[in-house]
Amino acid sequence: MSDKPSITPSSESHQWSDLHHQIQDWLAGYADGELDEHHITLVEAHLAGCEACRHDAERQRMLSERLQEIPAPRLSPAFAKRLDDTLASVQTSDRRPVGQKPLEGLKHWLTRLSPSAVIGGGGWAVAMVLAAMLLVPSLTPEDPNQMAVASQIPMVNDVLADYQRVVGNDLRTPSDDADLSPPMQWANGRVLARWTTRVGGEPAEAYAVRLGNSLIVQYQISERVFFRNPDVRQAVARAGDFRTRDNELEVIGLPMRASGLLVVAPSGNVPPIDKSAMSAS
Amino acid sequence: MVNKSTDSKRAHKMRSTGSKQQFDTLVRPWRYRLYGVAQRQSASTEIAEDYTQETLLRAWRDFGQLDDQVAIYAWLLRILNRVVADGYRRDNRRRQLAPVLTTEDAVLSEHPCAAPGPFEQALKHQTDAQVMAAVRDLPDNFRQVVLLRDFEDLSYQDIAQILDLAPGTVMSRLSRGRRLLAERLIKVASDNPAASDNTHTRVTPHE
Repeated sequence: MSDKPSITPSSESHQWSDLHHQIQDWLAGYADGELDEHHITLVEAHLAGCEACRHDAERQRMLSERLQEIPAPRLSPAFAKRLDDTLASVQTSDRRPVGQKPLEGLKHWLTRLSPSAVIGGGGWAVAMVLAAMLLVPSLTPEDPNQMAVASQIPMVNDVLADYQRVVGNDLRTPSDDADLSPPMQWANGRVLARWTTRVGGEPAEAYAVRLGNSLIVQYQISERVFFRNPDVRQAVARAGDFRTRDNELEVIGLPMRASGLLVVAPSGNVPPIDKSAMSAS
Repeated sequence: MVNKSTDSKRAHKMRSTGSKQQFDTLVRPWRYRLYGVAQRQSASTEIAEDYTQETLLRAWRDFGQLDDQVAIYAWLLRILNRVVADGYRRDNRRRQLAPVLTTEDAVLSEHPCAAPGPFEQALKHQTDAQVMAAVRDLPDNFRQVVLLRDFEDLSYQDIAQILDLAPGTVMSRLSRGRRLLAERLIKVASDNPAASDNTHTRVTPHE
C-alpha cells in the first residue's frame, strides 16, 4: 500500500471502491478540519453513502478529542536540576564558537596535535592520517557527535558487556610465558590477566590492569571496528580521543597504529591517558 | 503551535552574537514540552529523561547549525525524533510491520463498541494510562504523527516539516494510525470490561 496518497483524485472514472480506499486516508484531515473545500465536498459525498467511513471519521474525531484531554507529563524537579547541571557542564567544557563547522575542528585538531605525533613516534602520525581520511566522507551536520550515547555503538556495548562479565567472575591467574604488557602502561598498574574476546564482530585482545582499587580493562581492537562509527571518527578528529560513559563506567577510545584501544574504567577513576607513553603496536 | 516568525527573528538576533546565553534563552524553555513528548513514547520515566537529556545535548552540539527558517520547537522535535528512533533501534523495536486497516475491518465494522456512541463511552471509561499504553504500542510511523497532532496540536504542515514528510503522507499516516489505535482500544475495552470501573475489581459481563 502506498504511503503517499495523491491528494487529487482524477475523475468520475474512478471506481467507487478506489475512491472509498482513497478517502480512508483523508478521514483524519476531514475530522481535523485540514482539508480544502474541494476535498471536503468529495469526502462528504462519500460519507453520505458509506456508513463504515462515516463511523471511522467520527472515531477519528472522538479519539483526537480524548487524546487531547490527557494532561502533559510533568518534569520532576530533581530531573530538571540534573538536566540543568548536565547542560551547564557541557556548555562550559565545550565552548566552541557557534557556527564553527566540523571540518574546521578537524584542521584545528591536526595542527594542534602534530607535535605530539613527533613525540609519540610514527604510529600516531599514521593514526591521524587514517582518522582524517576516514573522517572526511562522513562529515555531515547530522553526524558530528562528541556526546555519543554509549549504547549506540556496538563496540562500546561489547567492551562494557565483557567488562561486566570479568567483574562478575574471578580472573584466571596469568601463565608465566604469556606476554602481559598492555598497550597502555601506568606506573602503579599491575596487569592481572590477558584474554581474547570479540568486539564489533572481530577478535580483540583484552588486558585487565589493577590500578589502586580500580579494575581497568584495555581492549585492543581492529582499526576497522574502531573507526566504524561516525561519532567515534568525529570525536577523535575533534579531541584526539573518544569518550563516553554508561552508568558507572567510562570508555575512552584511542586510535593506535593499525588498531584502536578502548579503555574501560569505573567513572571518576580513569587513569591519566598519556598518549605519548603508549606503545605503538 | 510553533511560532515561526517570532522564534526565527529571535534566533537570528540572538545567534549573531553567539553564546551559551542564546541557547538558554531559546532552547531551555522548551525542555518541559520536549519531556512531555519523550515521556509519551517511553516505557519508563528514566528512558524519557534520557531522551530529553540527549536531545538537549545534541541541540547544544548543533546549535550553531540551526537554520534561521526553522522554528526552535520544530527543530528540537526533529532532534528528539532522531533520539527516540535511535532508542527504538537499540531496543530492536523499530520497523514493526504497520498494519493498514480499512474502515470495513471486522473489529471496526462489527464490534458493538465500534459504533460512534459506544466507542465514545469506551474511550471515556479507559484510563489515561491505558490509552497512553496503546499509543506507545503503535508502530513508529503512526505513533509519531499521532503524538505531534493530538498531543502537541501541531498543524499537518509543521508535522510534515518535523518528520520530513509530504503533508499528504502526514494525513494518511494519521488516518491509519488513529484507525489502528481505535481498533486496539476497542479490543482492550472488550477484553477488560471492568478496567474502567474503579469501585469493582471484577465485573461479569452480561451475555
